[in-house]
Amino acid sequence: MNKDITAQLPISQKNGSAFRRVINVIGVDNLSLLFALVVLVFLVTVASGWFGFNSGDKFFTWQNLMNSLAQAIVIVGLLAVGETVVIIAGALDISVGSIASIGSVVSASVLVGAGTVGSLAFIPTNNVLIAVLAGIIAGVLAGVINGFIVTKLRVNPIIATLGTLAAFAGIAFLLAPDGKPVGVLTQPQFTWLAQGRFLTETPIPPLNGSNWTGIPVLTVILVIVAVFVHIIMSYTDFGRAIYAIGGNDIAARLAGINLTRVRVLMYMLSGGISGLAGVLLTARTTSGNPINGTGLELQAITAVFLGGAATAGGKGTIMGTFLAVILVGVLNNGMNLLGFNTFVQRVALGLLLIAAVAVSQWRQANAERARTRAER
Amino acid sequence: MTEETTTLPGTLEVRNVSKAFLNVQALEDVSLDIRPGEILAFMGENGAGKSTLLKIINGDYQPDAGSITIDGKRLSFSSPKQAHEAGIRVIYQEPEIVPGVDVPENIWVGELPKRFGLIDRRELNEKAQRRIREYGFEDVLPIHLMGDELSSAQRQLVEILRALKRGVRVLALDEPTSSLTDEEVERLFTLVRRLRDEGVAIIYVSHRINEIKRLCDRIAILRDGRLVAVEPSSKLTDADIVRLMVGRDLSDVFKRQPADTEQEALRVEDLYSHWHNGVSFHINAGEVVGFSGLVGAGRSELAKVLFGEYPKNSGRIFLKGEEVNIRRPDDAIAKGIGFAPEDRKREGLVLMRSVLENVSMAILRQISPFHFVRKGLERTIVGEFVEKLQVRTPSLEQEAGKLSGGNQQKVVLSRWLAAKPKVLILDEPTRGIDVGAKAEIYRLVDELANEGLAIMFISSELPEILGLSDRIYVMQNGRITGELSGKSATEEAVLELAMVDNLSAAKTGPAKNPEG
Repeated sequence: MNKDITAQLPISQKNGSAFRRVINVIGVDNLSLLFALVVLVFLVTVASGWFGFNSGDKFFTWQNLMNSLAQAIVIVGLLAVGETVVIIAGALDISVGSIASIGSVVSASVLVGAGTVGSLAFIPTNNVLIAVLAGIIAGVLAGVINGFIVTKLRVNPIIATLGTLAAFAGIAFLLAPDGKPVGVLTQPQFTWLAQGRFLTETPIPPLNGSNWTGIPVLTVILVIVAVFVHIIMSYTDFGRAIYAIGGNDIAARLAGINLTRVRVLMYMLSGGISGLAGVLLTARTTSGNPINGTGLELQAITAVFLGGAATAGGKGTIMGTFLAVILVGVLNNGMNLLGFNTFVQRVALGLLLIAAVAVSQWRQANAERARTRAER
Repeated sequence: MTEETTTLPGTLEVRNVSKAFLNVQALEDVSLDIRPGEILAFMGENGAGKSTLLKIINGDYQPDAGSITIDGKRLSFSSPKQAHEAGIRVIYQEPEIVPGVDVPENIWVGELPKRFGLIDRRELNEKAQRRIREYGFEDVLPIHLMGDELSSAQRQLVEILRALKRGVRVLALDEPTSSLTDEEVERLFTLVRRLRDEGVAIIYVSHRINEIKRLCDRIAILRDGRLVAVEPSSKLTDADIVRLMVGRDLSDVFKRQPADTEQEALRVEDLYSHWHNGVSFHINAGEVVGFSGLVGAGRSELAKVLFGEYPKNSGRIFLKGEEVNIRRPDDAIAKGIGFAPEDRKREGLVLMRSVLENVSMAILRQISPFHFVRKGLERTIVGEFVEKLQVRTPSLEQEAGKLSGGNQQKVVLSRWLAAKPKVLILDEPTRGIDVGAKAEIYRLVDELANEGLAIMFISSELPEILGLSDRIYVMQNGRITGELSGKSATEEAVLELAMVDNLSAAKTGPAKNPEG
């Protein structure tokens, strides 16, 4: 009921209090997510600190926050940000993990000149920028293929990207020399992307006996990409078109939105971001490995639905996804700290995906009911 | 309006019922009797309080004040279930039907006959068959159909049969005919009359004056939450009803002054498509041109072909004398055509997005230099048209789906006015909206034409076609069978062109039947 009342009152965006403004930045719909995050952090803190399963592994240490947590969420976070756009448009991109694998192999082999891609170029470029761009472009091309299959061949997005999930994974192996990883250990400038830190010299006091470590470059990249996509979704005609298509593609087309163009662009965006995620995977694992991205799509899609995107499209925010990525990160991190093994974590992740979609469906049903009620 | 005569047993007495939502008084001090053996119509514009009253009777809402009694027993409905137990059933427009099960199971949902713990199919089918035959629907409602195979009419029937199986005393039907064919309407009326004769008190909610006058014994008219009249239907003329509903005279609803421009805006020559066999016509700037015909004559499809949504096989389209090639809706918009489709919810609006986004959708490119939406400009433009069309919405951020039907239509129209087209195609723009909003849309069409817009006005309602059009094209079976001037056209003339078969087809050979 309360929600209805606030929805009815025209909320002035400009002369709200500071509190109001903070709420607006987070988004009213995301408050429950923020609350869940706070509760989870509290639980993890209490469990890891007070009961001391592993006395050394407290949640609130700079080591844990900045090294484990902030880095662990980056790759999935990037994929989820791209995936958010696709899901808001009412589609799905299951192939993001495989595109990341392609991005990983392509960036590595362009950098050091090994592998099929490198041998095409004949010479190692040794240039970080070119390697990064090559990974992103490979991802964009994969997105073009997805977009073509969905729009021109009219294949259902789930089936189309399930197909390319398999196909791109294979291509990642074909691009690597004999399917083996391409090492980039010799490229410190490149691995800096994953191992670098900003603001290491800033005098920030230790936390729980752990010294300030600086902010990981990886995390900064995630934030930049998230802000970039947020701006696209909130301030551009493309973003508007994505929401409109997800809400009702027929009405959107009849209002003059070019569905084919928007959908292809959307897969290109998702692909490009996935390619970048692949580049960062290379930097992090110090090798362009065709299995680098395997299985990441599940976590990304989970985060998007957990972040409040509607399964049928038309609703969702980058901020919601971002919060959800942190939530999933804290959950994994907490379970690590508490000594749960990865199999338990996988079960938890699977259940979380189902729970997130169930909540999303329930919300949609409620919204639907509210609309039909209003009309009577 | 209260009657002090002794009330018949089984009369549902509504006394001084009020209900407010937030700061809107939905019902104010409404008192009336719903008598057994009588069909009582509820009429009123959308938002007049009909639905709220139904929902209070059904126990969906609690009244803020007042009471509802039956047989002198005061009912305090805290849920629809209690209302059901008292024999009160409200049948809403979209009955809840279980998709994956057949008709008998849908009727007895929740109380299936069991045998050894399993559903007793034989008994169930026999019971269903018997009941359906009893009411004369055996050839309309085959019991083997699954819930998702049922037409709107069949769904309504299932819902009514559900209500009847437990002895209904008060039956309310909320716009039951809005999606029925004429024949189905007749069957429904037969059933409703029969129930009345059996002593059921019937509430019938509809916008259709003709139907009401044919079917109902008394008419209750609500306006702005108050009961303004309860009269025997024979005492009220159509004009009375409209005046009571709207609170003003509507004699000037159709106040169309034909323009005398000769400047051609749209010309179509020999259009052939999947649905059309050589359609040619033209619309001048400042002209309202009506398109009449039966459902399936190809009018909506013609609109969609012109708008680039459906493909054409051959034929030429000229805008302001210049031949154009329209391949997609965005082409059509760029070339100055606007199109408000027939099915608002499915084709017109993105219901879950805001009024603002829905209106600006067709002008996104213009208001987004370098692809960044200029939000201030957007608000100004959208605000201007939302105000001009008097869209009643709490704010521009309101979800379009939460507005009433008439206001949703005005949102669609705002979008097209903002796009400043030269030709505006309106496909059934007044379908399913209340009388007041209809009048506003008529006035708007007149105004727009006077401003020089060419309007293609597709409608199945003859009065509005005749009242508003400067010229009328009548379509039948994918071709235009005649052109009439708006002034001299009569209902008979239009209907003859729309229905009398093969007059023109006989001359030109058999018409290719539309395959779709």
